[in-house]
Amino acid sequence: MRIKILLRGTLPKYWNGEKERIVEVAEGATCAETLKAAGLDYLEIPRFGFVAVNGKKAMMDQILQDGDELKAYSKISGG
Amino acid sequence: MTMTGYQNNVLRVDLSAGKSSAEPLRMDFAEKYIGQKGLAIRYLYEELKPGIDALGPENKLLFTTGPFTGTGVPCSGKLSVAAKSPATGTINDCSIGGHTALKIKYAGYDMLIFEGKAAEPSIVVIDDDKVTIEPAGELWGKGAHVAESMLQKRFGKDFGFLVIGPAGENLVTMACINSDYYRQAGRGGIGAVMGSKNLKAVCVRGTGSVKVANIDTFSEKLISYLQENVLLDDNTYVFDTGTTAFLEACNDGGILPKRNFSDTTDENWTQYNGEVMLSKLAGKRGCGSCGLGCGNFIKWEDAIVEGPEYESIAVAGPNADVSDPYAILKYNEVADDMGLDTISAGDVIIWAMEMTEKGIHDFGIRFGEAEKMREYLGLIARREGVGADLALGVKKASEKFGGTDFAMHCKGLEYPQYEPRGSWGMSMAYAVSDRGACHMRAYAPNEEVFAASIPPYTSEGKGEMVYGLAEYNAVKFSLCICDFWATLNYDIMADLMTEVTGKEWTADDMAAVGRRVINIARAFNQREGFNRKDDTVPKRIVKEALKSGPAAGQVIPEEAFNDMLDQYYSVMCWDKNGMMPQDLIDSLL
Repeated sequence: MRIKILLRGTLPKYWNGEKERIVEVAEGATCAETLKAAGLDYLEIPRFGFVAVNGKKAMMDQILQDGDELKAYSKISGG
Repeated sequence: MTMTGYQNNVLRVDLSAGKSSAEPLRMDFAEKYIGQKGLAIRYLYEELKPGIDALGPENKLLFTTGPFTGTGVPCSGKLSVAAKSPATGTINDCSIGGHTALKIKYAGYDMLIFEGKAAEPSIVVIDDDKVTIEPAGELWGKGAHVAESMLQKRFGKDFGFLVIGPAGENLVTMACINSDYYRQAGRGGIGAVMGSKNLKAVCVRGTGSVKVANIDTFSEKLISYLQENVLLDDNTYVFDTGTTAFLEACNDGGILPKRNFSDTTDENWTQYNGEVMLSKLAGKRGCGSCGLGCGNFIKWEDAIVEGPEYESIAVAGPNADVSDPYAILKYNEVADDMGLDTISAGDVIIWAMEMTEKGIHDFGIRFGEAEKMREYLGLIARREGVGADLALGVKKASEKFGGTDFAMHCKGLEYPQYEPRGSWGMSMAYAVSDRGACHMRAYAPNEEVFAASIPPYTSEGKGEMVYGLAEYNAVKFSLCICDFWATLNYDIMADLMTEVTGKEWTADDMAAVGRRVINIARAFNQREGFNRKDDTVPKRIVKEALKSGPAAGQVIPEEAFNDMLDQYYSVMCWDKNGMMPQDLIDSLL
């Protein structure tokens, strides 16, 4: 299935500044697995923030559907 | 002992007598509370009698620097402005950016104390050790931007200015103090305290310097920390986006409030997000000693704003059901010029919108009416027409007209723009904050929403979590460090304190200062009669479930809120009623 990944905050540095990619992953892939398939292991990224699926905050083990938009944020500080 | 980094000098201005004098800094206070927030609260605890009228001459207005001010420590350009709050009756310390903190320090002062009340509208001019009190003349009645412009023409750009607008003059308890035109000490009616003293502006020039203990090692470490800890992309994102970046994250995270906190998330957010605002970028700047430069000047038609900050966008945007970016920017500009806190003024207007739409009381304004919202700022600042009622603030206005269930405040300070049902810890952070609902005391979304570390929809562990965040901020703001140096830690704080003051400081010392600052603020409030009954959450948060977004269905059960309070009091060693034992208070003095 095809998933659009968007990176926010400081995360684009892991893609050489690129902020958006479409990736192909197997049916049943989770947020974490999809990011890993795109070269982002969130457990290895300092100050990784959270993910949102179709504009809603999601857990890393949420299973994605074909055509979903997966957004990943670095941690935000301040107010 | 005397520590370097301080001027060991306080300027006390008695406006009633028209006199000023300098005196040594209470170094025993500085050793326990460092500077800025902590030091100011300790002074106010010492000098204010309990129960005084916050708008009477007995209240005192303190502008306080810290040992890092003027030394070049990154992000140390902030100035504390503190007094008893006329909005809440609690202690109130605000933090203002810009360059005036450095000018006060270079003029030779750690702190300025204004007491009494001038016989006529006045300004105070501090030119190093020369202090004069002069009539405000035609400045009185002018907007803050115009007034500062007039002052700058008269005194020149070497001076820094702290100025109130019409709201402060008219003692509106959501009035702020402006500096460098676009920076504000915003909350708790601090501008009304200045107005109550008939003080339109403070003008400061300083030509001196600051001494640090170990200049060679200090300089080396300064450069090292700047390069290796400040200028990381974890911090430098604010140079590009400021706090506009929070809008998308808050929307996706389910904490962007909509229509007076009746729901979250906004499908129109892309119409006024950071990308849209920054498409009109006209300039950049940072505060004194800043390494990050978050200030973005936006010019959109006739609206000029520095920022706009997330808070102002959210309250004048989705929370008012407005999605026109120009309208949001213009709201921000007018509020600044009127000398009104964008958060509190916005909250009282959106509350009035809901009151009108529900048919409880017709305030003549409904959701989405952006132009009218802007006009209401002037009415509030001048207490004209409907503005006279709205100038009461959400708490008092709802007690008069109804609508208390959706009056979004704690202790009379209106809610910041982070919806607690999507970040349960925030409801408690607002409740136990020393000045009413404030997001700068413990920023719970950092842990609950913007990180995957702590589940947001539970009370479990929130006492420790909020305490940890509050302790860190309390010491950070007592060091006069800006919130945007996010990677700062206790080890760095202690190392720099040692280099600057010549006294050995450890990370544990930093934590102890943070805890002490939270406690002295609570002691002040306890002396004013505050306790658990005042650590409240609006009924909307515990009665109405959210309808939209990732937090849809969420409501904070009252027992969960009370559980969080119990946890926090336990962490703080306060009793079940939120009261501090006398021996704890004694240990703070």
